Amino acid sequence: MLLNPFKFHSPQKLEEAVSLYNSLPGVRILAGGTFLINNLKLLKKKGLKTPENIISLRRIDELKGISCHKKELSIKALTSVSELYSSLSLLEYSQIFKAVSRNLATTPIRNMATIGGNLMCRYCWTEFPALLIALKANLHFIATDLKEEAVPVEEFFKNSAKSEKILTRVTLTLDPQNCICYQSVRKSSSVDIPLLAVCIKTKFSKKRFSETIVAVNNGTSFARRDSVLENFLNQSECSIKTADESSQHLDTSLYDASRDDYKEHMFRVTIKNTLRELMTGRHP
Amino acid sequence: MTTLIINDKEYHLPLQGHETLLEVLRDQLGLTGTKTACQDAECGSCTVLINKKAVLSCLTLACAVAGEEITTIEGLAQGDQLHPLQQAFLDHGAVQCGFCTPGMILAAKALLDKNPKPTEEEIRQALDGNLCRCGGYLKIFDAVKQAGENLAKTKG
Repeated sequence: MLLNPFKFHSPQKLEEAVSLYNSLPGVRILAGGTFLINNLKLLKKKGLKTPENIISLRRIDELKGISCHKKELSIKALTSVSELYSSLSLLEYSQIFKAVSRNLATTPIRNMATIGGNLMCRYCWTEFPALLIALKANLHFIATDLKEEAVPVEEFFKNSAKSEKILTRVTLTLDPQNCICYQSVRKSSSVDIPLLAVCIKTKFSKKRFSETIVAVNNGTSFARRDSVLENFLNQSECSIKTADESSQHLDTSLYDASRDDYKEHMFRVTIKNTLRELMTGRHP
Repeated sequence: MTTLIINDKEYHLPLQGHETLLEVLRDQLGLTGTKTACQDAECGSCTVLINKKAVLSCLTLACAVAGEEITTIEGLAQGDQLHPLQQAFLDHGAVQCGFCTPGMILAAKALLDKNPKPTEEEIRQALDGNLCRCGGYLKIFDAVKQAGENLAKTKG
């Protein structure tokens, strides 16, 4: 057997899942399974303690689908990465979600992995955190009393992505003025884990940057905003010169340069390229 | 008892909860066309279709997919009549050691069911989770393309 025994629970209602989650000892949530099942195999191999109870969210229809109400886009936690890749319901963000989703692993993994699992698995290098920080997304968790709590995604990752609650959905505000570009750097085309990633969202107003958000993921800590670069861009003209000078205005503490001296240089190049793509309109 | 629907047939099994679908298919049902290799979600040998989507059975708990439509390689041929994908793999010499073939064919079936005329890039993307240690990728891509054309002709 690949896994140690556990008790398997498969509720059909969210409230049932919340009740089980709060009452059972040694419990873990199963969304797509691409992280958890491999993790359980590893724990067994190492002879470490494994959970006594697993709650699968797979049968809970309330946690599936993408919808749009007025200007709010809602992506339910069990939406698979493949669905994010192909969904037209994401409206003006569909191209950027397509670009980011395609970077993630392989087709069968994308068919299984969910956005909820991706955000909650606490891997530093996953693709979605930087994108969702740049889009100022909110994560919605459900508490014991079934009340929903919204947490800005930036705050969630600042707090090391820890939560004792069940993630139900991700919400975003649609804004047709947003221009957004995502670039990641990988060791080779066969390695899907990015070494680093940059996501820049801005608005171009009178040939200037405005409301710019720069989210960076250095692969070794959770994605963060670079407010030094954001301030520089928001005071700058939209020009190739600004893109070239941008690498002199970074919050260097974010770029993990202490461990890998090449990394800061790669970030400088990636940021410059991302800004150039944004300005030339070749971004997804 | 847990009911699994595999290749249109119902199986009622006394599952405990922690068995992966891969283990149930091979060890309890004797459906050994689904291959065990890395068991680590890296190689795609254990690919099956669940609700027509290619997924990895080494990462899937059997209990979690009770009542859903599971297709394994054993479910493709109709009696002695091979599925057009299986026939195309033979015709193109796309099978060498054959270990990756069931996973490749099922991943390709998921693609062709949605898109019978895929481009080479779409074929490569659909099979990006399936490794062939013999390195016979080009013949595999050709076979998938041919099977798509044959299926389109059949559907008319």
